[in-house]
Amino acid sequence: MLDFFNFLRYFPENVSTFGSDLDRLFTVIWYITVAIFFLTYGLLIYSLIRFRQKPGVRASGSHGNNMLEFTWTILPTFLFAGLGIYTDNAWEVAKNSNRIPKPDMEIEVLGRQFNWMFRYPGADGILGRQDPKFRTRDNLFGLDPSDPHGQDDIIMENEMHLPVNKNVLVHLSSIDVIHSFFVPQFRVKQDALPGSWMKVWFNCMKVGKYELACAELCGASHYNMRGVIMMNSMEDYSKWYDEQIKNKADQMAQAPPQPVADAGTAPASNTQPEGEHH
Amino acid sequence: MSASAVSVVDDSHAHTHEHHGHAELSFIRKYIFSNDHKTIAKQFMVTTLFFLMVGGLAALMLRWKIAYPDQAVPLIGHLLPDTWAADGVIQPGFYTQLLTMHGAIMLFLVIIPMVNGFIGNFAIPLMIGTDDMALPTLNMFSFWLNIPAAMLMLGGFGLESGMAGGGWTVYPPLSAIAGLGQTLWIAGLFLVGFSSIMGAINYITTILNKRAKGMTMFRMPMTIWALFITAVLITLGTPVLAASLAMLFFDNFLHTSFFIPANLIAASALDGNSVWAGGGQPLLFQHLFWFYSHPAVYIMIVPSMGAVSDIIATFSRRPVFGYKAMVFAIMGIGFLGFIVWGHHMFQSGMSPLLGTTFVLSTIVIAVPSAIKVFNWIGTLWGGSIRFSAAMLCALAFVSMFIIGGLSGIFMASAAVDIYIHDTYFIVAHFHYVLFGASLFGVFGAIYYWFPKLYGKMLNESWGRKHFFWSFVFFNLTFFPMHILGIGGHMRRIADPTVYDFLKPFQPMNEFITWAAIGLGFSQFFLLGNIFWSLKYGKKAPRNPWNANTLEWAAPEHPGHGNFDMDITVYRGPYEFSQPDRESDFYPQWIAPEEGESHTNHVPDVKHVVAH
Repeated sequence: MLDFFNFLRYFPENVSTFGSDLDRLFTVIWYITVAIFFLTYGLLIYSLIRFRQKPGVRASGSHGNNMLEFTWTILPTFLFAGLGIYTDNAWEVAKNSNRIPKPDMEIEVLGRQFNWMFRYPGADGILGRQDPKFRTRDNLFGLDPSDPHGQDDIIMENEMHLPVNKNVLVHLSSIDVIHSFFVPQFRVKQDALPGSWMKVWFNCMKVGKYELACAELCGASHYNMRGVIMMNSMEDYSKWYDEQIKNKADQMAQAPPQPVADAGTAPASNTQPEGEHH
Repeated sequence: MSASAVSVVDDSHAHTHEHHGHAELSFIRKYIFSNDHKTIAKQFMVTTLFFLMVGGLAALMLRWKIAYPDQAVPLIGHLLPDTWAADGVIQPGFYTQLLTMHGAIMLFLVIIPMVNGFIGNFAIPLMIGTDDMALPTLNMFSFWLNIPAAMLMLGGFGLESGMAGGGWTVYPPLSAIAGLGQTLWIAGLFLVGFSSIMGAINYITTILNKRAKGMTMFRMPMTIWALFITAVLITLGTPVLAASLAMLFFDNFLHTSFFIPANLIAASALDGNSVWAGGGQPLLFQHLFWFYSHPAVYIMIVPSMGAVSDIIATFSRRPVFGYKAMVFAIMGIGFLGFIVWGHHMFQSGMSPLLGTTFVLSTIVIAVPSAIKVFNWIGTLWGGSIRFSAAMLCALAFVSMFIIGGLSGIFMASAAVDIYIHDTYFIVAHFHYVLFGASLFGVFGAIYYWFPKLYGKMLNESWGRKHFFWSFVFFNLTFFPMHILGIGGHMRRIADPTVYDFLKPFQPMNEFITWAAIGLGFSQFFLLGNIFWSLKYGKKAPRNPWNANTLEWAAPEHPGHGNFDMDITVYRGPYEFSQPDRESDFYPQWIAPEEGESHTNHVPDVKHVVAH
């Protein structure tokens, strides 16, 4: 019966390192607010019953009590300000870019209407240089065609594989409107802002398949902007990654870097607007 | 106009306006383009109730789509064009338009004009004891500007490309690259803002300059204090909204780049070649927008708080507990309201260090809110409580405000907000504050002041039924949304079944939808009651609730000019159940009897505004 009121059980399982800290903060606030709820509702319901209109009983004419006012000003001030300070550390750990631990791997994630794009460094282990001015429909990441490091980069759509127990640093942006990178089980959420790169980090502790949702309204198919994150053991991940490198090499052998370079010669033009856009 | 000439108007002399030298007014000047603050209040009430039903219908269609993503909307689904609802099933694009319209209508065409336009216009001149607003013509424009503004906002209804779909928060670039429906929406909201500012200037001027003899600032009822502080918030905040909307309009229509970064590649609008020069920053819009829109949530609730304080005092037969603390708490909320906007942007990419700052300012705003709740309970404590329909709605305000306030503490903490941001937890939170508190406060205000508005009593029993079913269905609708939010359910998604982790919540979504339908239909109790009572309601006495404030000194159904006697204020607004008096109330306008030992019956000359 009591379980019915335990709303904390509706949390999806937490699998990331700092996630349990965030859940604990939620739980602390949960118990504080439940206590305040019962206190105030108790007072409210008691006074509604006790002081309902009764024949011959007159209300009190008192205008207030300064001591009471003082008490219920000072106590909440300390309680709430203390709570704010108490929760700050978890916030800094999760979001402050100065406190991000040394990443074991870095990956780029781009939001677009209505898909997630992922870029891995490829065979050379280095993410090629990118610049938004090179962006085209065929080169959404804006890879610099003159940078050889970019030629072997692996680009995935809506499915990302990562190893468990590693500090993963995501460089997050968008090529059109604002999206939001939300993985419920990781307790991670960060808006993807066109024109800026955001840093998101996590360390997932459990192998499995997790859903990546867009949490910021991004257009008609916003609800359908779903990605999948496969968290693999290091061996499985390496196996998958080697396969991708091989696929990429095959692909490049069939069609040498030509397409990328072609796209690069016609970057998105700022100076020649096309009339029709609506 | 000489303000000392308090006009002599009551029902039988409704057409004599010698003191103002008015000629007989034509039908149009009297009922349509009227300068009378009470007529304007009625106009606001009727239009906002109309839009409440429109916005509610949009909400029910949204709910239907979420609960039954593949099923046709019953009754109305097949009436809609196929581009909106193919075979009656709402399309995702139309869904985003509906959620935009629901939010925008409820906030800008219902709640803000309800608490300010309706309560403000009605209450201010009557409660401070004057004949009308300081600027009655401006007042008229503030209502009539709303009509073209609403038509613009909803104008996309007639366009093939549809209505605005960028959410009521209109974040660019999404809103900037959208079509004509969005452009019209931005222009419409710009005008609504103007209407708001016109009203607010008028309220401030009237309250500062037109108070009756003896009505010092600290003898004003809580409703007037609340409206006064709200008006200050509007005049400081709304111009910022206007500026941001103007820039957004330029970005959308003229392709400037205030908020648009370079090299966007969007699926529909831009087609590879950006027509925007770029160099703008989308976050700038969010800062400007929330700098208005956070104070705006107080604009939406503070006047309701004031009305609720008056209702609770009257029906508990008790003075408002800690009157000055209540006034200072509202001032505190108003001030803090301007330095907390960043809590809407914790996950937006704003510097996390700013996040820490905004956590502290945000969490401290719980303090004045707590002061208000404890003082309301203090007012009930020791009272002699009458559970009228108005009182029940006011109590709903207090109890729902507690829940909405407590759920706010979760998202005030940036760390906890990471997970619950943009989930149904937020949806639950602001519906508890805006519907559970603010709108129930307005319902209470309607039940409380209807007798003075129309000279007829509303039917109490229907009023209580309206309260009961609204209260029950409201909680059944919105409380489970907390659980959805804890489960990670995102806002604004048309079809939750796309996600595996949300599938277990689908039965709860269906339950919420049926509760929401019940909530919508409960509102017909209110509408029916209003129409029925206008025709068959009992004639209202002058002071039906035995209240103390000045509006009850006016005749049963006051005409233009309001009062039929000279109004002098002798005491504060809440002299209920004073031990030295036989009667349990002591109206502000009743002169003290000879030899009475009241300390505050001599008007403080310093504060009397020359009238």
